[in-house]
Amino acid sequence: MTLFSIARKNIKGNFQNYVIYFLSMLLSVVIYFTFVSLQYSKEIQRSIELSKSMQTTFMVASVVLILFVAVFILYSNSFFMKRRKKEIGLYSLLGVRKKKIGQMLFYENLIMGAVVLITGIFLGTLLSKLFSMMLIKLLGSEVEVDFTISLEAIINTSIVFAILILFTSIQGYRLIYRFQLIELFRAEKEGEEAPKASIITAGLAIVFLAISYWLALKPFPAELTNQYFFTLLSSILVGIVIGTYLLFRSVTVFMLKMAQKNKTRYYRGMNLIGTSHLMYRIKGNARTFSIIALLSAITLSAISIIFSQYYSNSIHANQATPFSYTHLSTGKAIDEKVESIITADKEHPVITQMSIPVIKVGLDSSDTTVPNYLAHITKEFANEKPVKLVSESTYNKVVKELERDETVQLSRKEAAVIQPLYTDETFSDYKGYSISIKLPKDTRKLEFVEMLDDRIMSWSYPDVYVVVSDSMYTDIENQLTPIIFKAYDVADQKDTKETSGKLNKLATEENQLSTFYTGYKEGLEGTGLFLFTFGFLGLVFLAATGSMIYFKQLTEANSDKGRYEILRKIGVSKKEIRSSIVKQLFFVFALPLAVGIMHCIVIIEICTNLLSNLIGVNITLPILISMSAYIIIYLIYYMFAVNSYNKIVNR
Amino acid sequence: MKTVVEAKRIKKVYGAKGNMFTALDEIDLTIVEGEFVGIMGPSGAGKSTLLNVLATIDQPTSGDIVIDGISILNMNEERLSRFRRDNLGFLFQDYNLLDTLTVKENIILPLALAKVNIKELEQRVNEIADTFGIRPILEKYPYQISGGQKQRTAASRAIISNPSLLLADEPTGALDSKSATDLLESLKGLNEQRKATVLMVTHDAFAASYCKRVLFIKDGKIFTELVKGNVSRKEFFNKVLDVLAVLGGGTNDVI
Repeated sequence: MTLFSIARKNIKGNFQNYVIYFLSMLLSVVIYFTFVSLQYSKEIQRSIELSKSMQTTFMVASVVLILFVAVFILYSNSFFMKRRKKEIGLYSLLGVRKKKIGQMLFYENLIMGAVVLITGIFLGTLLSKLFSMMLIKLLGSEVEVDFTISLEAIINTSIVFAILILFTSIQGYRLIYRFQLIELFRAEKEGEEAPKASIITAGLAIVFLAISYWLALKPFPAELTNQYFFTLLSSILVGIVIGTYLLFRSVTVFMLKMAQKNKTRYYRGMNLIGTSHLMYRIKGNARTFSIIALLSAITLSAISIIFSQYYSNSIHANQATPFSYTHLSTGKAIDEKVESIITADKEHPVITQMSIPVIKVGLDSSDTTVPNYLAHITKEFANEKPVKLVSESTYNKVVKELERDETVQLSRKEAAVIQPLYTDETFSDYKGYSISIKLPKDTRKLEFVEMLDDRIMSWSYPDVYVVVSDSMYTDIENQLTPIIFKAYDVADQKDTKETSGKLNKLATEENQLSTFYTGYKEGLEGTGLFLFTFGFLGLVFLAATGSMIYFKQLTEANSDKGRYEILRKIGVSKKEIRSSIVKQLFFVFALPLAVGIMHCIVIIEICTNLLSNLIGVNITLPILISMSAYIIIYLIYYMFAVNSYNKIVNR
Repeated sequence: MKTVVEAKRIKKVYGAKGNMFTALDEIDLTIVEGEFVGIMGPSGAGKSTLLNVLATIDQPTSGDIVIDGISILNMNEERLSRFRRDNLGFLFQDYNLLDTLTVKENIILPLALAKVNIKELEQRVNEIADTFGIRPILEKYPYQISGGQKQRTAASRAIISNPSLLLADEPTGALDSKSATDLLESLKGLNEQRKATVLMVTHDAFAASYCKRVLFIKDGKIFTELVKGNVSRKEFFNKVLDVLAVLGGGTNDVI
């Protein structure tokens, strides 16, 4: 019998043990391979108009992925080896030479690695087609994806994993040299003392978390410098990490101690077993819990934010460009040319065609009742007329044509401001304020009575539109000539690629031509790509966190086997044991998730204040969707863990 | 006198066709309330199998067992567990204490599982701790106490719910002679003062000499039976040794 065949038999015989390790490695290979083959896919590159930025996004993501896969494989390898220490000790005890054992472990890992790699690439090839279709769907393109095998991806994956597998194999080889025989036998018998709950650490945990939450939630100062921002973010991060660890070290112990103090509950049925078990394990679990809570927080918030951006893209495009096509009238010739291009597109018939008169005016900067934002704009554009006036009836007409519901009624001295896009201005910033409009002959004072959310014009900075009463508008029109915007709304504006392309060639600084499609598509590609890559990474993180708890629970189940056997003997039924396991594992799974979600909410809060395209958008729904998806997958892990745990201790 | 255990023609066969091993061969056994019965025999005679079958941990291949008036065969898993909890107490060679629980928590475990109210529970635990002299170590964990203390803790746990039958599997096997004597004296006390019914499997003639009746098993069958009657423990001990000498195999364990 050669060493090679012993190694092969080991894998066969120990299959139970190997399955988990095998599956986690397989998952890593499949995910990595799928990702890399997308990166190399010609079809996808062709279909994406921003393929330059795609390349970088994918590059960064694959680096993150490699790091992560490496850590994950090393973790599962060390878990796996821990479970086999006794077996290895036994070989040594039976007189197999250390060198032989080392070689055996080396070969074993190598064989398994090779099998994993081949299977993984095969499965990955099947999956990459599915994922390509998903990506293309997310990006809103229409390209047929053929079934192709990417040679570059195979080479790339093989190299990365060959290195990882070789490394873990060498680790296996060295295992026998690193430990004394007695240590190998004692591996599973580490006595854990009941931890002492220190009030100081518990207090510190709460202080750290409270401070970082407070830092995160307090409003930013008006002038946001890079340095301030960097210090803020890093202190929040450090605070949360330390706080989380201390929290799991101490506060959980306190909670369990409290549960033990309540004797009537504690001394009742399986509560005694469940609580004391958790207590016994808490010390070793603190680190795993913290890692899982933090990973969940990162994954959840990244996915939520990006999904929100993707989700709000069309809302966003509609806000930035309410009409399909808009341009400033700069002469009959060009107006007609634009119109002929638009009407020539028979697939997208014109629903509405409008001329929108707008008067540009300046403000009297000596007026102290001007709202802050307008004062700021006036100062910045001192030589121009940054404020645009629209008449009440024009606004109402446009709103009606765009099938929105908000109309406005104003008396002579009243004005309504349209919410400036990408700012977080609210009506409270305008209430009680007024403006004095500078006209050639005199000034007109107007008082703000309302803020309108429905936009009527394409965004261009400065984005200040003020609606005034019709009579006031006529007065001002007598002194200043309005400029005319031509606006068209067409059917199915989301796929007006060709017409938009033709029109974009006519766009100049002067005519401010803008199309809905361009903004929409750019947003879709950018956010869709992010959504895909982060969704992908999120999936990996989730799989990893789930597997980590799962592994941990299986190890515990194996060392708890004896305890449950005792319980069975003194008359605890299988059902009672199962229900105790369900409760215990619920605590173990739910606690880090709850802390993760708490962190996540705070992180989302910072990000929505930071990212201009999320300001003022209602993202409750996308956040809820991402969280539920995450929780559902997490729940599946929980159920798997309960089942396996139960199977181990409750045969 | 009430009958606690009534076992008829218990048979236990291991293995499949062609390679069968009969561990128990039609054993009949009756134990009445207040008895202290010992089971002895050489290794592989079927002592532990008999105990496990009576303990409802293992099922006999055929036969009938009635404990406390209830037939324990054909019960489902859940009812069996309840039965064990309510009617039986266990004492094992390796104590089988839970190292995650304190001594006190280990002792009250059966009561907690039966959801006895807290007042009664506290009272019972103090009472029993006094009987076994482990009051001072109630708040300690199993890894902090000696083997003898562990076995006394296990004994306390076994009898706290006043089981109708206490099953002991080599309870002195891992104890030094002083601790073993202490434990046996406690069991004897329980038997005499509280009228606890005890069934003890042992290798050790000294331990067996504390019983009122000793059954000897060989090759799955009852070989003979000794009743102590009115003789002294010392004399009974010699009688046990005599039987063991005839029985063979077991003698190695005595000397």
